[in-house]
Amino acid sequence: MDLSVPPDITFVVLTTVTLLAAVMALQAKELIYGAISLAISFIGIAGFFVSLDAPYLAMLQIAVYVGAVVILILFTIMLVRREEADKDEAGETGESAAGLWLAGLLAVSIAGIAALAGPNLPATPPPANLPVSELGPVLAGAYPVPLIILALLLSGALLGALVLAKVDR
Amino acid sequence: MVNLPTTPADILPFIIAVVTSHTFITLVIFPGFIHLTIVVMFLTWYERKLLARIQLRIGPLYAGGPGGILQPIADGVKLIFKEVMIPYKADKPLFLGIPLALVFLGALPFAVIPFGQHWVIANLDVGLVFVFAVASLFPSMILIFAWASNSKYPFLGGLRSLFQQVAYEIPMWISALSVVMLAGSLNLVQIVNAQQKIWFIVPAFLSFIVFFIASMAELERLPFDLPSAEPELVAGWFTESSGAVFMVIFLALYMKLYLMSSLITVLFLGGWWGPAFLPQPVWFILKALVVATIIIIPRGVYARLRVDLLIKVGWTRLLIIALANVFITVVLLSTGVLSAWGL
Amino acid sequence: MTLNPWLLIVIWGIILIILTGPMITLPIFWSRRKPDPFRDMPFESGQVPQGEARKRIVMQYYPYLLMFVVFDVVGMFLFAWGISFRGIPAADSFLVLLFLVLLGAPLGYALKMALQRENW
Repeated sequence: MDLSVPPDITFVVLTTVTLLAAVMALQAKELIYGAISLAISFIGIAGFFVSLDAPYLAMLQIAVYVGAVVILILFTIMLVRREEADKDEAGETGESAAGLWLAGLLAVSIAGIAALAGPNLPATPPPANLPVSELGPVLAGAYPVPLIILALLLSGALLGALVLAKVDR
Repeated sequence: MVNLPTTPADILPFIIAVVTSHTFITLVIFPGFIHLTIVVMFLTWYERKLLARIQLRIGPLYAGGPGGILQPIADGVKLIFKEVMIPYKADKPLFLGIPLALVFLGALPFAVIPFGQHWVIANLDVGLVFVFAVASLFPSMILIFAWASNSKYPFLGGLRSLFQQVAYEIPMWISALSVVMLAGSLNLVQIVNAQQKIWFIVPAFLSFIVFFIASMAELERLPFDLPSAEPELVAGWFTESSGAVFMVIFLALYMKLYLMSSLITVLFLGGWWGPAFLPQPVWFILKALVVATIIIIPRGVYARLRVDLLIKVGWTRLLIIALANVFITVVLLSTGVLSAWGL
Repeated sequence: MTLNPWLLIVIWGIILIILTGPMITLPIFWSRRKPDPFRDMPFESGQVPQGEARKRIVMQYYPYLLMFVVFDVVGMFLFAWGISFRGIPAADSFLVLLFLVLLGAPLGYALKMALQRENW
């Protein structure tokens, strides 16, 4: 790890915000706070996309995830009755110990990969030269089959969700 | 790049260089914070006067000279000294924090809206979807605020507001798609530049109608007023707000009004293009005020629409009309009819 | 000085936070604060509120929310197409129009299901 280069401040800020928000989303006592923290972590990920020269993807992330998925999550939270949500079962099945062990395993493996493969990576990432105007031709021209599969997938998801949520009287 | 001051004698030239730099002027003065505050306060007075004249009244009269032009300042001073009542068992951090987030998100897209050829804070290549992405955050925040108020009327109003705004966002996007196809870019400056010879309201007239109606629904203005219906839900999702909280929400609503008017001006009315006897930003603000007038007038004229019919119309008729205009634009561009105007 | 536009947006956001933050925090400090159990009850036009305040979720419009998620994604993809509409061959545009038409039938069916109120 090259410690002589100062860390990029954008990266540090974004990482802190995203990870803190993600941890808060899991640990929050009030579920609504968890949903808001989840929204903040999605915005943090959109910030990562911006710093990686993919602004369109960042806007798609904000519009779809924070704009629509978070609303669905909020709905689900509001449907849960308060007495069911307040039951506190943490600590009985040793889940915190399992979580720490898993996190440690993940950290060790990532550190190992970085140490082994790190010296072979280029010093600066290759510039992503896909301006926004190039997205359209790539999408429709080079990937037509995924586009059609996307249409079928979206319609399948929509109709499936509707059928599942329907009330059969 | 300006040089950072190294000796005490350098500080004053440095400050002068920063203050007169284009970045600073756009950020703070125009179209930055000062201009935004002044116009939003003017819009509150303007709406009250306009509605008063429509309803054969006079409106604000006494505050600060003829016509009550300082009425918004008087309102602001009154509201910030009132007590902020937090409802019983309401969620205090959310109740106090979300109005600030609302006004923050209402003012954030002004960073990309161009008021003149060079009068833009940040000339973003994805400017249009930035505005739409930020606008899509409003419904969830209103829902959380309504939930945090721990009261039935705000909660029902918040749910209705959520569904109404969500229903009208898609027709808004699809009608903006026609403009994007005509201009060939998401950059708002380039969209306005493409309208130099013809305003997009002419080839994309159906899109203009759909976008206008959809933005009135997004702003919760009569006749789409049901989330804050006065005889029905007291005041809808901001029933429990009082004092400074109400002032901040009020500001956020008028900020959104100015934002939507500016967006309609940029997308359909040719932005800042006009005969050269007036400077470009003045044309822009004039057009935005005309659009704001047309948005405000129905409030004094029309009756309220029922919310489930509203949502149904948003998803069926408006979406079909917007899609039809996309197809019309495809045909217009493919046959090259608009090449006389450079499109 | 041509700064990165995103940096300018961040600066604008910071300016907004600094200048609008005091709008609520200051009034809280200098306004009268005497929590009164009768005055702080949720407002119901004078009567005492009964029952839990956040109970009734209106499920009638839930299918519109699901449709919104799907058409959010579709809308963003269509924007990517719309920018480059004039530069790409007609076959690709036809493909995107086919994409739209393929989604039209499920949209119609979802709308039909949404309009039948007894399903919700």
